[in-house]
Amino acid sequence: MKNGVNAGHKGVFTAEVLSNQQIRENYYRLNLRLDAIGSRYFQSAVPGQFLELDLSELPLPPEEKIPPALRDSAHRHILLRRPFSFSDVIVLPSHEGPCVKLEILYCVLGPATLRMMSLTSGTVVNVLGPLGNGFTIPKTLKRAILIAGGMGAPPLLHLGGYLKRHFSEVQTVCFAGARSCEDLPFTLKIGNITGLVLEEFDVLGIPSRVATDDGSAGFKGFVTECAGQWLSDNRPHPKDTILYACGPEPMLAEAAKLAEAFDLSCQVSMERRMACGIGLCQSCAVEIKTGATQTEYKLCCKDGPVFDSRKVVFQR
Amino acid sequence: MEQTIDLSVDFAGLKLSNPVLTASGTCGYGDELAEFMDVSKLGGVIIKSITPAPRKGNPTPRIVETDAGMLNAIGLANIGLERFVHEKIPILEQLGTVVFVNVAGQMIDDYVQVVRRLSQERAIAGFELNISCPNVKQGSISFGTDPSQIRQITGQVKAACGAKPLIVKLTPQVTDICVLARAAVEAGADALSLVNTFTAMVIDIENRRPVLANRTGGLSGPAIKPIAIYLVSKVYQDVAKPAGIPILGGGGIRTASDVVEFMIAGATAVTIGTATFVQPDTATRVIDNLRNYCERKGIRSIRQLTGSLQ
Repeated sequence: MKNGVNAGHKGVFTAEVLSNQQIRENYYRLNLRLDAIGSRYFQSAVPGQFLELDLSELPLPPEEKIPPALRDSAHRHILLRRPFSFSDVIVLPSHEGPCVKLEILYCVLGPATLRMMSLTSGTVVNVLGPLGNGFTIPKTLKRAILIAGGMGAPPLLHLGGYLKRHFSEVQTVCFAGARSCEDLPFTLKIGNITGLVLEEFDVLGIPSRVATDDGSAGFKGFVTECAGQWLSDNRPHPKDTILYACGPEPMLAEAAKLAEAFDLSCQVSMERRMACGIGLCQSCAVEIKTGATQTEYKLCCKDGPVFDSRKVVFQR
Repeated sequence: MEQTIDLSVDFAGLKLSNPVLTASGTCGYGDELAEFMDVSKLGGVIIKSITPAPRKGNPTPRIVETDAGMLNAIGLANIGLERFVHEKIPILEQLGTVVFVNVAGQMIDDYVQVVRRLSQERAIAGFELNISCPNVKQGSISFGTDPSQIRQITGQVKAACGAKPLIVKLTPQVTDICVLARAAVEAGADALSLVNTFTAMVIDIENRRPVLANRTGGLSGPAIKPIAIYLVSKVYQDVAKPAGIPILGGGGIRTASDVVEFMIAGATAVTIGTATFVQPDTATRVIDNLRNYCERKGIRSIRQLTGSLQ
């Protein structure tokens, strides 16, 4: 039975699109206003959690707007929901209960995200969430180092804002990487001291560095190399510093190595193909170390998506 | 004029409040769904496959979507008999619905061991014998395609069930499903469950590899519904009806009209699977809509639908 609709619970509800802005080619920022039920579910949502959208009934964008790479597969039918992290959750109190606004950054990659291009202000979408366990922020935390790879950035942007709002004494720094400048879901600008910075973190007062594999913006190389240099220079104290990473699995594996080398604890947000998002289908298995040689599968949707990097057996 | 509609069905000696169950492997251990719907409204739940020892399951990716369905190759991941008894049975006792447990294994003794232990549990109403999972290397489907092996395993497991009913879940991937259905019934099956998924493959054309780590997986979802309807109707006419054995039908059900279709074809009860992944409360919505169908058609008892194909 639905035990009332309380914070900490999850469920299915609707949300109204407030805006769906293109931020660069194939990248969009979607703002949603959740209905009363969803707002209660999401009022205590934390960074690193996720939601699932039912995109199966959305129309395709007009033919001329479909990216050439997706024209062939555009008409494929959508059955399952699609998981998305969110980059911000804003709770507006009102006398009728909380009203939650939520921001999703997405990249048009396949037939489901392609349909999201058709979302306009006023469209109602069906949402399931909030799902999974987010990042853990211990009271003793003094320094947070965020490492974002490509579309792994949204939950770390949320984390940055969340830390500023609720843990203002924590010193936060963000490293964001992508294959190339066009694959960064952020606005770049010239910082005062450090060269290129991310506008979205700059407005939060969080220093940031950019790395691209091809050198088209910022540091040329992997974001973990960029973060590694910074760690060598700054040597944060292991006791009160945490690395928070989200991005492609090889990047997370590198972040885990980095954490080990500098004796830091590290929380990684994993990604898996999933059908249900609520622990029913058992498809989103993440291999977790349970002993020196033993492992077991945990579910990305229910036990994660955030895991302690020392426990994860990363896939090659 | 208000008239009460009886949605209850008699199934393998049990009275179910309605014909809608959640399918094995799609409703976890029963507790996960409780957050999304009133589980006590269901006709029943079928708990995912339990094996004697815990199973980690297959590497990922374990699922991939297709145009009208999905492939899965989970590999019977489960917590094993002992943990199931200690951690999950107390939860199942509180669900307020009829609980079946799907049972799997590599050897007949594995099945017997699980069923013998669980037959002592009041929370468990009956068992579904999984001899049709396409995603594990040993056991399971290899039992399910050979009538003499079906006879053997059904007979031995039935003997371990005590008074509890045994449903045998058949694979559709045989030349004549009726031969296997008959073998199960002759060996003591109290009900037949059909269909399990169809072995299928999706290839990533960028790297020319199968998407699933297991290479193949079982196809479920709307794509298989017409095949499942056909097989239910065939097994009903040739085996189940003459033997007086009920069929638990399933495959791609999303709506009440899908349920009605399965019942007309010969199912006494049905399972909802893949649809739950998309809309967690599909089963209870379907039950409400079944009532609407009956009202519209002037049907007082839903039982009269079973096998009513003209």
